[in-house]
Amino acid sequence: MSEQDLQSRFQTLPATVREKVDTVLSDAKIALKLKIAEILSDSAEQADHAVTTAGRIGAKSGEVSELTVIMPLKPNGAARLRKFFSLVSGNLAGAGQVGTLHNMRFVFLDNDTKLLFATAYDGEWDPYIDDFATKIPEFMDYLFSNVEGWPGITSPAVKDFITQFQIPAEAWFVSHPNVTVAEVNRLKRQDATVQTFLGALN
Amino acid sequence: MDLFRRRTRRPTLELDDIQATLLRARPEPYFGTHAIIEIADQAAGRQLLRRLAPLVSSAARWDEPQSSWMALAVSYPGLVALGVPQASLDSFPANFRAGMAARAERLRDTGPNAPRHWEAPWGSGRVHLAVSVYADNADDWRSTVAGYERELRDLAGVRLLSHQDFGATGFNVFGYRDGFSQPVVEGSGAESLPGDGRPIKAGEFVLGHPSETGLPLPTPAPDVLGRNGTYVVFRKYHSHVAAFNRYLRDNAATEADRELLAAKLVGRWRSGAPLALAPEKDDAALGSNPRRINDFDYADDPRGLRTPLGSHIRRMNPRSTKLEVLSDVNIRRIIRRSTSFGDPVASAVLADDGADRGLDFIALGARAIDNVEFLQSEWVNSGNFVGLGKEKDPMISLQDKGAYFTVPGTPPRRVHGIQSFNTLRGGEYLFMPSLSAIHWLAG
Repeated sequence: MSEQDLQSRFQTLPATVREKVDTVLSDAKIALKLKIAEILSDSAEQADHAVTTAGRIGAKSGEVSELTVIMPLKPNGAARLRKFFSLVSGNLAGAGQVGTLHNMRFVFLDNDTKLLFATAYDGEWDPYIDDFATKIPEFMDYLFSNVEGWPGITSPAVKDFITQFQIPAEAWFVSHPNVTVAEVNRLKRQDATVQTFLGALN
Repeated sequence: MDLFRRRTRRPTLELDDIQATLLRARPEPYFGTHAIIEIADQAAGRQLLRRLAPLVSSAARWDEPQSSWMALAVSYPGLVALGVPQASLDSFPANFRAGMAARAERLRDTGPNAPRHWEAPWGSGRVHLAVSVYADNADDWRSTVAGYERELRDLAGVRLLSHQDFGATGFNVFGYRDGFSQPVVEGSGAESLPGDGRPIKAGEFVLGHPSETGLPLPTPAPDVLGRNGTYVVFRKYHSHVAAFNRYLRDNAATEADRELLAAKLVGRWRSGAPLALAPEKDDAALGSNPRRINDFDYADDPRGLRTPLGSHIRRMNPRSTKLEVLSDVNIRRIIRRSTSFGDPVASAVLADDGADRGLDFIALGARAIDNVEFLQSEWVNSGNFVGLGKEKDPMISLQDKGAYFTVPGTPPRRVHGIQSFNTLRGGEYLFMPSLSAIHWLAG
């Protein structure tokens, strides 16, 4: 499409959107301006992916929230964690039992002096931390006791402790914002049933 | 039904310092009043506490008959009005300090349930002190109310903002037996009844004692203020019984079918008999037997074919249900002291008479505020925790347009047109101090 065509398509979009895009992206090419303006004009798509708050801290899209923390490690903290991660070959399969975790990662930063922990999870910040404290306290404490100053998962101070290291995302995208881990499990069960039914039908 | 539990073990808690309401079940039938008081003047507020302190009942001898008792709780603005030192104020949890109206988003109190629609004085910041009187007969109720009204009358700096009477027979305005399932508090000495589950650590309900984590939950400072106290969540609901009756009428042809559909929503029949033990029809003898009414779990009903996973009682107390999300059901228990107001409505009535009726939902516990926020977002206004997606609690949620309820079965039945059967009219987070803390607050 020629620059002319791009310009004229851009002009068909709502003036309020064009004005905002022109102001913020004044240094961008028209192709990018058009793309962004089209996305901003699609109100259904915008609503589906609206970014709200995960409560205490963090962003949420639909039902899925993000959490990123960078925590200082104790001396030898990284080595101790690495031993654990290599025991399981970096495979944290059992974490599926939590039922709200879409994914999570542990990354060592700055010469093994810091731990980056990042996860996408269902719901909001507060609800299930208390359940971790009574259901899987040994696991939480084994992992995070390598962090300098970790107060213990049962400590009343633990929520504030984590929050002080959390860096909220500035932008957050989830493909299917309303599909929780529990929903995926249900849809997989449903699909298995449908496939069995179709298999039996023929 | 006799709700009083015998004491079968020696209590280890300091019962004479804990308010009676925390451990004492209300009588049946019951009479009472909730009074909401504003403290306009610090000295008058302290004076009022000094006068009320001797009237507040302790939990000592809670297993012996007592015809009436009084309970007292303070909101965060109330603590401020009483002149509690800043360091002490700061030791209270953030959600309590913010108050219920400010936590509306977390509580999913939006739309018609939003604070801007609440009745006065709720959400105004003027709800400082809540005083409740419970009695098993009308005479003792009136004389206890007269007692605290006398103490209020000649104090210029305190104002009675609202006065709500309640009284009922143990049945709510929908016509269901309600309010009889309670956790067993370890160390209270209370007899546990079949189906109660194991005793829960005292610190889940009484501040300053070990909780289910092994440690006490955060307790306000100083110790004399926090220890042996608890939190109270008060939520006033208006009940739309005619709308509930219409939903049943619209979706079931016979009386028997309507009662079965209603039982699927609640998880129990009107008598209180649970679907788990009486799957086909109501069993009044079972419903009036406190040793049988809770004697079940859901181990043999994983799909909810008898008691739907989305039914009210299975959501609020999932017992042995395998949940989709790692959860500790033992830290989500609350002591319920809800009271009904207004007349019940017969199931044949389909038109709303416009009268005030409903439920004052009252939850007590060291985690009561956290738990009600948890329940509202996770177990009431979502179905995710049992794999039901966006389906909500059929009785107490805020339903969206186009909402439905699924009755599990082969095939399952999707019952459309479900509405919110209860609307929030107001509420507040309160702190229920120990008897020694009341004296400390009185200065």
